[in-house]
Amino acid sequence: MKLEKDDLILLYRNMVRTRKLDELTIKGLQEGKVLSFYHSGQGSEGLAVGSAACLRKDDYLWGHHRGHGIGYLIGKGLDGKAFLAEHYGKVTGSCLGISGFHFAEPEYGALGAAGTIGSQFPISLGWGLAAKKTGKQQVVLACFGDGGSNRGTLHEAFNLAAVWKLPIVWLCDNNGMAQYTPIKDTYPKDDIADLAGGYNMPGVVVDGMDIMAVYEAVEAAVDRARAGGGPSLIEAKTARYRSHSEGSPDVSHTVTRSEAEIAELKKRDPIETFKIKLLKQGVLTEEMVDQINKEADEEIIETEKFSLDSPPPEPSILNKLIYAE
Amino acid sequence: MPEINMSKAINNALKHEMERDPDVFILGIDVSGGMMGVTAGLQDQFGENRVRDTPITESAIVGAAVGAAAAGLRPVAELMFVDFIGVAMDQLFNQAAKMRYMFGGKIKIPMVLRTTCGAGMGTAAQHSQSLEAWFMHIPGLKVVMPSTPYDAKGLMISAIRDDNPVVFIENKMLYFTQGEVPEEAYTIPIGSADIKREGEDVTIVATGQMVSRALNAAESASAEGISVEVLDPRSLLPLDEGTLLESVRKTHRMVIVHEEVKNAGSGAEIAATVGEKAFGYLDAPILRVGGPFCPIPFSQKLEAEFIPSEGKILDAIKTVMKS
Repeated sequence: MKLEKDDLILLYRNMVRTRKLDELTIKGLQEGKVLSFYHSGQGSEGLAVGSAACLRKDDYLWGHHRGHGIGYLIGKGLDGKAFLAEHYGKVTGSCLGISGFHFAEPEYGALGAAGTIGSQFPISLGWGLAAKKTGKQQVVLACFGDGGSNRGTLHEAFNLAAVWKLPIVWLCDNNGMAQYTPIKDTYPKDDIADLAGGYNMPGVVVDGMDIMAVYEAVEAAVDRARAGGGPSLIEAKTARYRSHSEGSPDVSHTVTRSEAEIAELKKRDPIETFKIKLLKQGVLTEEMVDQINKEADEEIIETEKFSLDSPPPEPSILNKLIYAE
Repeated sequence: MPEINMSKAINNALKHEMERDPDVFILGIDVSGGMMGVTAGLQDQFGENRVRDTPITESAIVGAAVGAAAAGLRPVAELMFVDFIGVAMDQLFNQAAKMRYMFGGKIKIPMVLRTTCGAGMGTAAQHSQSLEAWFMHIPGLKVVMPSTPYDAKGLMISAIRDDNPVVFIENKMLYFTQGEVPEEAYTIPIGSADIKREGEDVTIVATGQMVSRALNAAESASAEGISVEVLDPRSLLPLDEGTLLESVRKTHRMVIVHEEVKNAGSGAEIAATVGEKAFGYLDAPILRVGGPFCPIPFSQKLEAEFIPSEGKILDAIKTVMKS
């Protein structure tokens, strides 16, 4: 699908909203309002927003733990209220405040999230089976990081998805760091996408900092999956601006990542580079950029207020959720 | 009523439910042929999309079932031996059991994980274990363990219709035991125990393969003037506390028999429940008869020694009667 002017502006807007929500979540953690882990997604906004823009609302989505998947959900049409309230442990959160940083949004096809990295690989197979059965040409966008790519579950799921020709797009956010370990020490080749050949599926590498490149690659894989062509693997080379987890030292092994190193990563910033591109193309003007930022700031204030004002869940619900009646 | 074996009874239940509900499907290793015949013939009737043979890929089998259930299907996944759950445990206890709760009750996981347990076939340490206590410990799961063909069919139908993940444990030595089973579909509620023999002096709680041995021991005890009640919990999670406590309040003595190793087996939970809630009714300490604390040996004589025998059950009955 050729993107119209409004579509391009929406992509930009959603990246700005994702970044600001990420910053707000970090602020909440620093102020003691988010009593949880937070794994910032700064640097991956182009990947999250650009890939999710290829999805229908009824497509299945597993956004991985960078930014706790919110960029993908914003790209799919959700706002940040239920996300932040969930991180505040409030009953208005996506999961009534029960789940925290591994939450689901079933209405948006996000039926899972988990603390065990790589558990999404087998679960995505089940979503793929369900998608195939309905005959509605739904697809599964299953995201993971370069760290997750080391799990054995990847092999089991890549294999079975290919054997069963399931409509799954495996999307790897390769930011080069698995917690505190650089990829050169966790993977023996340059490209994780090379794994695809072993499963007889297409595997492509894209610049994950370029939202248009992401969009085009994911769209092709989604189209293929919808048409019954089976799974694909896309590896997006991104960057991680912040530490693995807020509050923990930003180190590679034990060595602190330098400011110069981070500044270098930020030269490829998906939001800035896309803005410059759209300004050049005349799709955006400086006034429009200001307006988008202003609206995103207002949304953030509203989101924070909503979360602060919401009550926590009642203890009485604790035992009512374990089993379905 | 026709007599069929347990394998056939479970097959029958699967067939009923697959005919009734197009969302029910089976996946597992070689399920088209069917280990012990349990799923045999179903692929011929329902096709390859509903009876899916998988590679040797336990994480993917269980995980695919979890995902499919979350997305609205009703999978029946087969784990050939319960010993293999180690490969797939994350999918069961971190995902299947927790997703509904974690996600604020917004989704349900209506899946069945069928698996086999038990020693007696010479399948040694990694194909013979009884691990039901592992699953009993996890909130969000249900654990079912039939001892007769009749119970197996009714419980399987209930398990498939249940909106929660059910671990359905089939003792492999019971597949070819015969019993009366109605042809039509019927359900046995998960969480309801069954009194397999009524008695007055002592309650034996037994599961799986141990139920028939307990019944035989009860018969021998009866010849010596001891009246034994045999209670099969049928479901270990939830446990039918009502029936259990009622029986103990009547007999005042209890022996628990299971094939799991005695240490931290399901009997520990059952004994603790009775200790907490009916201590005052007990005239003797609760005794447990279980497998010895060791991996299951291969050599036939040793394997036979591992499995609790009628003799050991009878000894325990006599011991509690002395108090």
